Amino acid sequence: MIIPPEGIIDLGIGFPHQTIEEKKATYDFFRPLLKDKQSLEEFEFPAQYMFKDVPDIVAPDVDPVAWVVAKLDEFHIQQALTGMSEKGIRAKREYPDRFHLFAQADPNKGVETLRAMDAAKAEHDIKAVMTFPSGMFPQVAVNDKKMYPIYMKCVELDIPIMINGGIVGPRMPSWPQLVEHFDEVLYDFPELTMVMMHGGEPWTALAVKLMLKWPGLHYMTSAFAPKHYPKDIINYANSRGSDKIMYCGYFPAGLSLERQFRDMPNVAFNDNVWPKFLRENAIRVFKLDQSNSNSTGNSTGTSSTTGAQT
Amino acid sequence: MSFISDIGAIDTMISFPHDMQATYKFITDQVKDTQSKEEFEFPVEYMFKDVPDKQYKGTDDPIGVTLREMDRWGVARGMIGVGDEAGLGEKALKLHPDRFIASMSGDPNKGMDGIRDIVKNFELHNVRSVGLFPAGTFPQVAINDKLMYPIYAKCAELGIAVFCCAGVPGPRLRMAPQRVELIDEVMYDFPDLTFVTRHGCEPWQDLAVKLMLKWPNLYYSTSAFAPKHYPKAIIDYANSRGADKIIYAGYFPMGLSLQRIMTEMEHVPFKAEVWPKFLRDNAAKVLKL
Repeated sequence: MIIPPEGIIDLGIGFPHQTIEEKKATYDFFRPLLKDKQSLEEFEFPAQYMFKDVPDIVAPDVDPVAWVVAKLDEFHIQQALTGMSEKGIRAKREYPDRFHLFAQADPNKGVETLRAMDAAKAEHDIKAVMTFPSGMFPQVAVNDKKMYPIYMKCVELDIPIMINGGIVGPRMPSWPQLVEHFDEVLYDFPELTMVMMHGGEPWTALAVKLMLKWPGLHYMTSAFAPKHYPKDIINYANSRGSDKIMYCGYFPAGLSLERQFRDMPNVAFNDNVWPKFLRENAIRVFKLDQSNSNSTGNSTGTSSTTGAQT
Repeated sequence: MSFISDIGAIDTMISFPHDMQATYKFITDQVKDTQSKEEFEFPVEYMFKDVPDKQYKGTDDPIGVTLREMDRWGVARGMIGVGDEAGLGEKALKLHPDRFIASMSGDPNKGMDGIRDIVKNFELHNVRSVGLFPAGTFPQVAINDKLMYPIYAKCAELGIAVFCCAGVPGPRLRMAPQRVELIDEVMYDFPDLTFVTRHGCEPWQDLAVKLMLKWPNLYYSTSAFAPKHYPKAIIDYANSRGADKIIYAGYFPMGLSLQRIMTEMEHVPFKAEVWPKFLRDNAAKVLKL
């Protein structure tokens, strides 16, 4: 593993909760979709059957923002993309060089969602929007008509959409996230930048085929421990896809940074891929070096380690 | 006739004499039957007699032709299209801003370029509506198709109306994209969108009435119908709960003369209080004039 001298960019950082109740409430939005007893009664985290030791609860006297920043420093993560939660907005205000924001886009809310996207861009300089097709209530497929105005708005605002592809973790129907749906969207919106989230499994060969076909399609490794990065994706990054694959963690929602960076050196990326994977692709695809505010997202205030090899 | 011309009608579908062959190429490219391909100059010729476009063929003053007809038959303002190659609409708007209202055709197959076109024409010409012809678009795009959704979203954002053909289309193309029932889903997804049907909604005019009752922002315009053929369900609705929903649109010079329209008009059994709404006020409201 080669850590970029300016530091890593993690495209998926969240903040810990201070109580179990607060954590459970985070997933309330798709609870109406769940039917099996385990999901409804036993799990705190709906994809719990796949994740051990979820690190997202801190004591009530710990400041969640400061706690995350300390973790970022520890793991050479210089910039992070986070959601527009109260904590996320505060993090960007307190550490403008460390955090970028993205907005959730709900296809069931029609034009109201488009207005919210405009406002989030103007007020918070959001770098992306995110939609979770299988988690919408009702569910909305990647290529559903209700997504199309959101795609239109992303092109107008010149920001990517991060969108789940592949079998969904929580126990609800996966069909809205079939990887094949991406093909039609990129045909209809060739200017759109799409970043597939959460693995694309088990259709990773198809994901690679589509990335080759569509310049606007990218992939980030959200919710996957490096040990489980799909082989198709690693091979693609090492060949024609070095500009397409980006690191995205899942801290603290599902994986600790300790776990991720313990596994990471074992990923068989070529030397030239590491800086792209851990930093450069994110800057280019999410335009992190462009800003409509006065914060420039540059390296002041970071404790990055230069050229550290692990 | 006089009570009609006193109102000062707004005609929500009027145009200028134009080169028919070029105008209808998008349809003749798609039809398959010999009559449509080889015999008809106007693709719906089997339904229309005395097409005014033919009478005015080759005129050197197309804007003047339309204005004179409007003056003669008491049409105060007309909604016309911008964006054709000859630039007639733009010219008419510039010369007679008090007589013409800008509209444009939307093309769902053009993706983001089509959306940028709408924004551009809104900014440049203050277009008040986007016209859609689902069965005539190539490839056809149904009223509730995903390719329409960005257009609906953009019109809702800009606060302008959609004027969309619904019902069996006249040209010999597949009718499926214009089934009236498809409007229901669009209004559910875009409750703030002003959606005005064009070209009759036949034979599902009862369904059109039912949907107008259900959706506050759904309207009906009488384009391409001689008043003699206005569906009874529509007249009854205008005379009862739908007085604010039914909007006059002609079809000059594409298929009907204003003479024919206005001569037949006085025989339509609208109630007295419906006439100003039908001929003027409802259009002024949906077009935000």
